[in-house]
Amino acid sequence: MNISIKQLFGRKPKSSSIAKQRLKLVITQDRLDVDDRFMTRLHHELAEVLAKYFEFSVNSVQMSLKQEGNSYVLVADIPYKKFHDANPR
Amino acid sequence: MGKVIVVTSGKGGVGKTTTTANLGTALALLGKTVVVVDADVGLRNLDIVMGLESRVVYTSMDVIDKQCELSKALVKDRRVDGLTLLAASQKNNKDDMQPEEMKAICSKLQTDHDFVLVDSPAGIERGFNNASAGAEEAIVVTTPDVSAIRDADRIIGLLQHAGIEPINLVLNRFSPQLVGNGSMMDQADVLDILNIDLLGIVPEDLGVITSTNRGIPLVYEDTSAGSQAYMRIARRLTGQRIPIPDLEEKGFLSNIVNWFTRNR
Ligand SMILES: Nc1ncnc2c1ncn2[C@@H]1O[C@H](COP(=O)(O)OP(=O)(O)OP(=O)(O)O)[C@@H](O)[C@H]1O
Ligand SMILES: [Mg+2]
Repeated sequence: MNISIKQLFGRKPKSSSIAKQRLKLVITQDRLDVDDRFMTRLHHELAEVLAKYFEFSVNSVQMSLKQEGNSYVLVADIPYKKFHDANPR
Repeated sequence: MGKVIVVTSGKGGVGKTTTTANLGTALALLGKTVVVVDADVGLRNLDIVMGLESRVVYTSMDVIDKQCELSKALVKDRRVDGLTLLAASQKNNKDDMQPEEMKAICSKLQTDHDFVLVDSPAGIERGFNNASAGAEEAIVVTTPDVSAIRDADRIIGLLQHAGIEPINLVLNRFSPQLVGNGSMMDQADVLDILNIDLLGIVPEDLGVITSTNRGIPLVYEDTSAGSQAYMRIARRLTGQRIPIPDLEEKGFLSNIVNWFTRNR
């Protein structure tokens, strides 16, 4: 995300940009017929699997759906602390 | 063989009837034969917006009930050649009509008109199904606000599912000032979200309201921004290549604002 001049001057983002951002998210969910419950479940199950491989805090995981052209992308941001030993003896 | 185009939206009150009335009239002014069909059974408006309310004798329901011939139910607009209206029944409701019945009417009308424009009611229910049943193409009308755009996207999905193609967008009640100061999404934002082709942009125009009061579609007067926008859209519908002008405010102040914000 680029830092704009307005942000440097401490002004609020344009309401039209906020509208666009919110719409993109909600429309992607509408189109895929995905609701909040689905996303929460996915979040939990994904976290469960990932916890086997590395250490992270569940609350720091950010997940969202994005549309890129004609396809959808699930973006998961997982700040991890360290990997578990991949081949424990 | 003409084209059947449904004018629809999702959210109500965004300008479907205004768009149907003005595009119908504009196409007739360009020499096309046009019939505008009110599919808003029970809440008919197209007749009054066009100033033809006192001349309606029969409705599409009378045609379906075989009370009169289709050709006899068409109200001729005396102000321009080639324009007629098929009114909706005001005393029935949407469930009294079947999608197949509407489809049959549209395919008959299309044999002797260049354009059949169907004014759809808002929503995704029966009224929409009836209105779109006979359509091959669609014009989705939206205003640049979050609710209208979200609902437009839902309608676009339903139209795609029904195999209606192309689906074109009319962005209505656009305000260059509000876009300029960052409180309204511009056309690029809306298109980025909805992912369909833009047919035209109609600005917010007080003339729309006064012309509706009088029952004289705005396109009869050729000076206002709204009228010119509708004329351009009509020309595009006839296949002419007319560029979509940039309606954004290009004043001194907004240029500065744009300079400051162009990276966002
Ligand atoms: N470009 C415009 N500028 C100013 N006013 C407008 C514009 N377009 C539409 N309006 C006004 O918005 C109101 C709603 O328009 P209209 O009846 O065409 O919407 P609609 O989508 O057909 O509504 P409904 O869903 O109830 O059928 C009317 O009062 C109309 O005059
Ligand atoms: Mg209407």
